[in-house]
Amino acid sequence: MKKLWIGSTAMVLLLAACSGETEESVETTDATASTTEDGKTEVVFWHAMSGELETALNTLVDDFNASQDEYEVEPVFQGTYEEALTKLNTVAGTDESPAMMQVFEVGTKFMIDSGHIQPVQDFIDEEGFDTSIWEENITNYYSVDGVQYSMPFNSSTPVLIYNKDAFEAAGLDPEKAPMTYSELKEAAEALTTDAQKGFSILNYGWFFEEMVAAQGGLFVNEENGRAGQATEAVFNGEEGLNVFNLIKDMYDEGTYYNSGQNWDDMRAAFQSGATAMILDSSAGVKGMIDNAPFEVGVGYLPVPDDAERNGVIIGGASLWMADDIPAEQKQGAWEFMKYASSAEVQAQWHVDTGYFAINPAAYEEQIVVDQWEQYPQLKVTVDQLKETQANAATGGALISVFPEARQRVVNAMESLYQGTDPQEALDQAVEETNRALEVDAAKSGN
Amino acid sequence: MTVIRQEATSGSTGDWHLERKRAWSNWMTGMMFLLPSLILFGVFLFYPMVRTVYLSLFLTDSQGVPVVFVGWENFVNLFQSTSFQLSAKATALFVLYTVPAGIVLATALAILANQKLRGIGLFRTMFSATMGMSVAASSVIWMFLFNPSIGLFNRILAALNIPGVQWLLDPQYALLSVSVATIWMNTGFAFLILLGGLQNIDQSLYESARIAGVSESYKLRKITLPMLSPTLFFVTTVSLINAFQTFGQIDLLTRGGPMESTNVIVYSIYKDAFINYNVGSASAQAVLLFVAVLIVTVLQFKIGERKVHYQ
Repeated sequence: MKKLWIGSTAMVLLLAACSGETEESVETTDATASTTEDGKTEVVFWHAMSGELETALNTLVDDFNASQDEYEVEPVFQGTYEEALTKLNTVAGTDESPAMMQVFEVGTKFMIDSGHIQPVQDFIDEEGFDTSIWEENITNYYSVDGVQYSMPFNSSTPVLIYNKDAFEAAGLDPEKAPMTYSELKEAAEALTTDAQKGFSILNYGWFFEEMVAAQGGLFVNEENGRAGQATEAVFNGEEGLNVFNLIKDMYDEGTYYNSGQNWDDMRAAFQSGATAMILDSSAGVKGMIDNAPFEVGVGYLPVPDDAERNGVIIGGASLWMADDIPAEQKQGAWEFMKYASSAEVQAQWHVDTGYFAINPAAYEEQIVVDQWEQYPQLKVTVDQLKETQANAATGGALISVFPEARQRVVNAMESLYQGTDPQEALDQAVEETNRALEVDAAKSGN
Repeated sequence: MTVIRQEATSGSTGDWHLERKRAWSNWMTGMMFLLPSLILFGVFLFYPMVRTVYLSLFLTDSQGVPVVFVGWENFVNLFQSTSFQLSAKATALFVLYTVPAGIVLATALAILANQKLRGIGLFRTMFSATMGMSVAASSVIWMFLFNPSIGLFNRILAALNIPGVQWLLDPQYALLSVSVATIWMNTGFAFLILLGGLQNIDQSLYESARIAGVSESYKLRKITLPMLSPTLFFVTTVSLINAFQTFGQIDLLTRGGPMESTNVIVYSIYKDAFINYNVGSASAQAVLLFVAVLIVTVLQFKIGERKVHYQ
């Protein structure tokens, strides 16, 4: 009996000790989090770059750490953009929160609403930093009501990628990419054989958003949520219908390949010749050229024949600064952001990854000039962005329920292959997105 | 406990306080033994369960903090949403596709592997091998098999001059494809348990049968299956609950698509909670799933157990 008491007391004590220890360790990590052994301020940086991108990012961070002796940026990979954001959610506003965070473009509104972030505009104003050196189309996306909330970092846009060899075999001009829907349809028809389809779009909301914006169409009301809180989705209008009709027509004609929801599957389909044209991210162009066993061409996003080309919305991610952290850490994060946006660093970043340089001066750096000589296709992606008109459509929608809206769009795209009427599919997606917007408004009490 | 009661009744009323004290200290001792599991269950099971029910009555902010009390609204919305109805249908179909087929397959393999032959150990290892494979690794293997442009299945079809099938992209086939992969993944476990059950059957029963000269199928129906029924019952219960909770292969193979045809409830809960940040609605779905699993398990015990033959 006595032994038992001792045993259980020991266990309770042990439990208490454990909990005490965790508290202590939290405190100690917190104390060391601000400085490293050699007295540098530590800036924890959560990101979502994996594979070759992570290597490139680590090199960039190492170079920054070596370039000065006040701050030490510590990059931590936290999974995909979605996963990283979910993890941030659990620690935002606590001591565990990272000082700097990479968030994908559609998380912008979500981050602003979270209330745990420090707009970089404050640092820009304080230092009188000249933001006009940045690519306007990129900074536009990440600023709301004239306030720059986050620092653009890795930016990409969608492009049309096509198999030049297949173009030649089908008697098409391999140097002339289809620019309009009817050119696209004609090319796809000529390219389709028993083993090869003409064209494919990944079942992913981003491509739909881009194709709507390319015609100047909005995704949600209130000028894409930039003039006020968006309350309704409007992508079931004429522009959205054009996109869905295109997919539906081509699928019915047998010139369209359904490549599913997985990027790797789509790229495998292109590389194995199952489809001759795809839409892909500009950041994937270089890898595609290196890996495809044929000549790869790059073109602009196609638009309907009678539509005016508006351009593309910026994709990718930006860097956010946490609010409830010590001032030195904020300063460290800001120094890193400035470093990362300088022309030389951006030039290296563009060459290593294929993401855009947010600082156009980077395109004049020698390494970029050399790279473009070797991969002239990369220039097409930059030109498409440069020619983009700055307006509400190409500014991109600002809603916090973007992930859900994208699921609805994907669902609608998939239902097209089952014979659903395009307008019906779109209306359904809009209705469900509206419902999500409504719930979101109820949460924030508007 | 019975000991205490006996003492209590046999003792005179004057000892009542003493008895009571003893019973109390006995109870304390018992509780102390239970304490570790009570703490663990409490922290990791009971508290989350109660919290889930609580959250299901609220709208939450993105960090899962309840902000607006909405009562039954989350449940009402679920029952009205076509998306949830599809999820419920997909879950039911998935359970139907995987559990019976998986158990029949595992039982057949176990009976085969129960023969005393040279080298049977090799087959037993092969049949149970999938148990040692993680869901992630298995899913990747199946992803390649199902791949429409470079996968094995479509190459076989092409060799036979049959047009290829978009296994994971066609809503007609996607759930079936995931089910096939799941059956393959779960067979190892069911096989191993059933083989253990077979080996526990008293050999003298078979000896008597041989003396009586009955046929093999008669032996199977009248000895093997009845004697195996407790193990079969266990495997069925565990497989059913497992099937209701399947997540990994759905996430890796289809992400709930195409057209939500594989969006089983657990996956829908995940999407709602961790992608759309609607913890309230996700909690409501979790409560409904709990109730469904509870009903199925209770029914199984009520109906299925009658047919179980315990020695």
